[in-house]
Order: sequence, then structure tokens, then C-alpha cells
Amino acid sequence: MSKPWRGVLYAVLLIAAVYYLLPLYVMLSTSLKTMDEIRGGNLLSLPGAISFDAWRKAWGTACTGIECSGLSGYFWNSVRMVIPAVLISTALGALNGYVLSKWRFRGSELAFAMLLFGLYIPFQVLLLPMAQTLGWFGLARSMAGLVFVHVVCGIAGTTLFFRNFYVGIPDELIKAARLDGAGFWRIFLRIVLPMSLPILMVTLIWQFTQIWNDFLFGLVFSSGESQPITVGLNNLANTSTSVKEYNVNMAAALIAALPTIAVYVLAGKYFVRGLAAGAVKG
Amino acid sequence: MGALAIKNVTKRFGDTHILKGIDIHVDSGEFLILVGPSGCGKSTLMNIIAGLESPTSGEVHIADRVVNDVAPKDRDIAMVFQSYALYPTMNVRQNIAFGLETRGVPKREQEEIIARVAKMLQMDHLLDRKPGQLSGGQRQRVAMGRALARNPKLFLFDEPLSNLDAKLRVEMRTEIKQLHHRLKTTIVYVTHDQIEAMTLGDKIAVMKDGIIQQFGSPQQIYDAPANLFVAGFIGSPSMNFIPAHLASEGGAIGVSLQSGEAACFVPLPDSQRFARYVGKRVIVGIRPEQWDVANDGGGLDCKVDLTEPTGPDTIVFTQINGIEVQARLHPRDARAPGSVLHLRPDMGKVVLFDTETEIRIG
Repeated sequence: MSKPWRGVLYAVLLIAAVYYLLPLYVMLSTSLKTMDEIRGGNLLSLPGAISFDAWRKAWGTACTGIECSGLSGYFWNSVRMVIPAVLISTALGALNGYVLSKWRFRGSELAFAMLLFGLYIPFQVLLLPMAQTLGWFGLARSMAGLVFVHVVCGIAGTTLFFRNFYVGIPDELIKAARLDGAGFWRIFLRIVLPMSLPILMVTLIWQFTQIWNDFLFGLVFSSGESQPITVGLNNLANTSTSVKEYNVNMAAALIAALPTIAVYVLAGKYFVRGLAAGAVKG
Repeated sequence: MGALAIKNVTKRFGDTHILKGIDIHVDSGEFLILVGPSGCGKSTLMNIIAGLESPTSGEVHIADRVVNDVAPKDRDIAMVFQSYALYPTMNVRQNIAFGLETRGVPKREQEEIIARVAKMLQMDHLLDRKPGQLSGGQRQRVAMGRALARNPKLFLFDEPLSNLDAKLRVEMRTEIKQLHHRLKTTIVYVTHDQIEAMTLGDKIAVMKDGIIQQFGSPQQIYDAPANLFVAGFIGSPSMNFIPAHLASEGGAIGVSLQSGEAACFVPLPDSQRFARYVGKRVIVGIRPEQWDVANDGGGLDCKVDLTEPTGPDTIVFTQINGIEVQARLHPRDARAPGSVLHLRPDMGKVVLFDTETEIRIG
């Protein structure tokens, strides 16, 4: 590529990067300002004196409706929800993918097609039947119920990820293990799962992001004690007091976003590697 | 004692008949080759022997025991795969140990077995490497080591050399043969390579379309192929198939060959066995090395179209009865393209085939 074109390319990339980073910058700088400074200053200016008061308030004392104890409770709710939901949906996806690619049975293709169908159903359609189902199971408005919903809705995606990854593993490997005397579980745990690191990371990141950021199910299927942070953030931002505390709102939004950002920063390289893993046979 | 017996085994997927009644008997210590073009059912048959697939009907006996309902791991067999099928996340030592572990072999015994196998295949220095760090030949060796560690009654090799380059393939071929001499374990070996089949096998089963076309020793199959397919499949360069009329001249039965202007009548030895084909068209099968240069007449003047020197021999191409014919000659006897050679077939070795059924006559 010639030099001027390279320059243009970098300029375009730079503009795109700034465009996407600008909201984050505004959130971060606003969250570190005092209300006085926000009223007096300009949106893009750097904070004069850095203050963590807004963060403290958002975490501990901001009002979310009539309760005024910040987002901390909601945050831990989300943690308690996301860990089992991600682990269970990923484990089931891996197992499904293993069966649908390496232990095919009569109708397994149909089963896979039906699972894929789950990817195309808008979640809003599920709300009423799911509420009914949770009621039957006695899980309505509980943390376990919310985890159950996320697992059910996540299986289609996780199964697809693992199944497509496992299709690339040669069948001869499974045959060799069978001749070595290994059965279904031993082959899965000792041979197949250790080969799955790239797709495992992709699925974990994907599921974590989906479930942590979910608002719809959190709003509909939880109440009081079990509401996740997305619902808490909504309540905090919508609670009307005399003044709109932009700095507190921004800090709250950042608190809600931090875990997913952290996951991407820590495991992002696996994400890209895992997505590429299916493309080139190892 | 029978090491392996396959009795009227068939395999069907829906309406597709993969195997149509296979019968094979192998004695203990024999080296059996299943050879055929791709899609002939040889790999399916191998999987059925291994227990990875079950036959639609028929019986499989290993060491005089019916194993139709015995799981692969309990059949006392070990298998080497074309892709080697080494467990990629385990090192060589763990690869070999995996099967021993699942069988509950004590740790100390495992180590002894690994040491013995590594020594036998000269791969001590590879034990701590992952399969990804090995070359193709080394992977092949490890795959064999894993099979050896089991000390099975029956070895199954599924095209084990197909992924190696030509030189390594020849080396490993010799090594497998030496291994067989040393261990004297029964081996079933699937290949599509007729040279591997000839060089390794005690018995060869040539397969096509789910049927065993011929079952016998390499020499039997080479000298007396059962039909046109076997004759063409075994041997390289391939057997020449020359269409001709079977005629009776002066009390002798023979065929007339024609090349350009020249023509000659070649009588067949022991020819009464062909009597009922006199006057009919037949296919004359003559292998390239079954031509001689006749300096004393009694042959056919053939114009040389092309020559391919291979070093020890030179392949000469010519036309006989309108068909391209190859003759493998000593370089001393070969002539340049355009010149004329006096060729005479070794009629004692020639085989005839029925034009309709393609089955060998006599």
C-alpha cells in the first residue's frame, strides 16, 4: 500500500476509535467531577479536582426508589446470578456440542436444528410462557429462577459454538479413545475438553456479557432481593430527586459496565483466537 | 488356530449396501491386507472388525470367539489410524499411558511398558513431546507405539502410511514388516496402495463394491488374478489388456496379435482348457515384464511410440491390436521411439479373460 493511503487509513481508524471512546471519556470524566463543576463547565473538559464522591454515593448511598443504599446490593446479586448461569449454560453447551458432533444418533441433526431455532426467537416472546413455567417450578421471582431462564436461553448459542468447534476434531480421535477403553465421559473429560480451551473462552466471555448486561429478564423475573445491577442502574437513574446527579449516574453506569470491560481486557485475546480457531484446522 | 474369521458379514446403510457378504479367514500370525479403491468398503470392514461399527448380518470371530456383541475395548485389538489420532493435549508418554490407565494397569507396570515400547521403536527422546512437536514419521511411530503397548491379539492398521512422503513410506513399510516378523502378531492392514499390499501381505483380499474379488497370497493374486479388475489393480505399470480373437490354427489354439502392418499368431500352451472360447473374442492379459525381445523371429514387429527409462528397466510403449501396450525391457534391449522392436509375449504366463463377465478363463 502506498504511503498516502496508509495515512488515510490510520486517520480513519483514529477517528473511529475516538468516536467510540468519546462516550466512555465523558462518562469517566463526569463521574469524577463535582456537581458544581458539571453545571459550570463543559462536557468535554477534564475534571478540575478529582473527586470519588460520586462513585462512593453510587456504590453505597444513592437512592434506587425508596431504598437508598446504592448499587452494591444489585452488583452482588448480578455476581451471584452470572457465575452459575454462565458455568451451567457453558457446561451444557459443551456437552450438547460433544453429543451432536461425536455421538450422533437418529434425529440428532433434527435436535440440533431445533436448538438453533432457539437463536431466532425474540426473548420478548418467551416472557409469558417463561413466567408460567417458573411459577410451576416454584421459582418465580427468585435468583434460581433467573439463573434458570438465562441457562435455558443460553443453551442454543453455547451448543452452536461447541458443536461447530467439535465438528473439526477428527472422528478417529474418538475411535482411538474408544479402542483405548475410554467411555463417553472419559473421552469428553480427558480428550475433548482439554482441546476446547479456545472455544471455552469464547463461550464464557459471550455468555458473561449476555447475562451480565441483560435487563429484560432481570426486570421481569426478579424482584426486590434478587434484582440484578442493570435493573438497579435503571432504578437509580429514574429515581427523581430535586437535582439530576449526572456524576452519580455516570459512576453507576461505569460500575455496571466494569465487569464486562474487565473480562474483555483479561480474556480478549482468547476471544479473537477462539473465533479464528474454527477457521483453520489445527 | 484362527486369529480372525469373518463369516458372511454384510453392512447396509438404508438402501446402500456397503458390504455384500464378506468371508475371510486368517490364521494366527498372518499378515492380512485389505486392498481396494476408495469406497470399496475396506474401511467399513476394518471398523466392523474393531467393533466401531456393527455388521448388519454375519459374524466376526477373533481368536475363535464371536465378538459381535463385544465392545471394542474388550476385543483384545489395537488400531493405528491414518491420521495417527494422537491425543493432541497429551505428550507421547501420556498418549501411550492413556489406554493402560483406562485398563487399570498399575503405575509401575505402565512405566515398564512405555520404556519397552519406546526402546523397540527408538523413540525414548520423544516421550515428553506433544504430538504437535513431532514430524509425520515420528507421529506414525508413536501411533504404532501406542498400539504395541496394548500387546493385543490382533493389530489393525488403517492406511497408516498414506500421510507420509514417498521415502518415509518405504522406510516405515519395511519397519512394519520387521515388526511383524519380530512380534508374530496377526495384523489386518487396510490400504489402497497395491505395492504395500504386495510387499507386506501374507494374504491379500482385493475388494471392490463391497465384495471380495479375490483372496489369496500376493503371488497367487499377481500370477492368476481372478478377474479383470484384480488384474488391473495389482501390479505397476498395470497389466496390458489386449482384445483378441481366440482361434485354432494347425491344431493349436492361440490368439493373433497385430501391430501396424505386422501380424502373428501366438499359440497358447496347454490350450485345450480354452477350447470352448475358440472363435470368440477374449481379453489377453500380459504384464509389462512378460515381453521378451526376440532376435530369432517368432514375435511381432512393433513400432516404438515412447520410452520411459526407470533406471533398472525401460518401459516401451507400442500399439498392439489397436491398444496401447507397455513392455518392461532391459535398457540394453530398448530402442528409441520410431524404431522397430521384435516383441514376443511369454505365453506361459499370459492370462485370458471373458469379454462379457471379465472373469479369468481356464
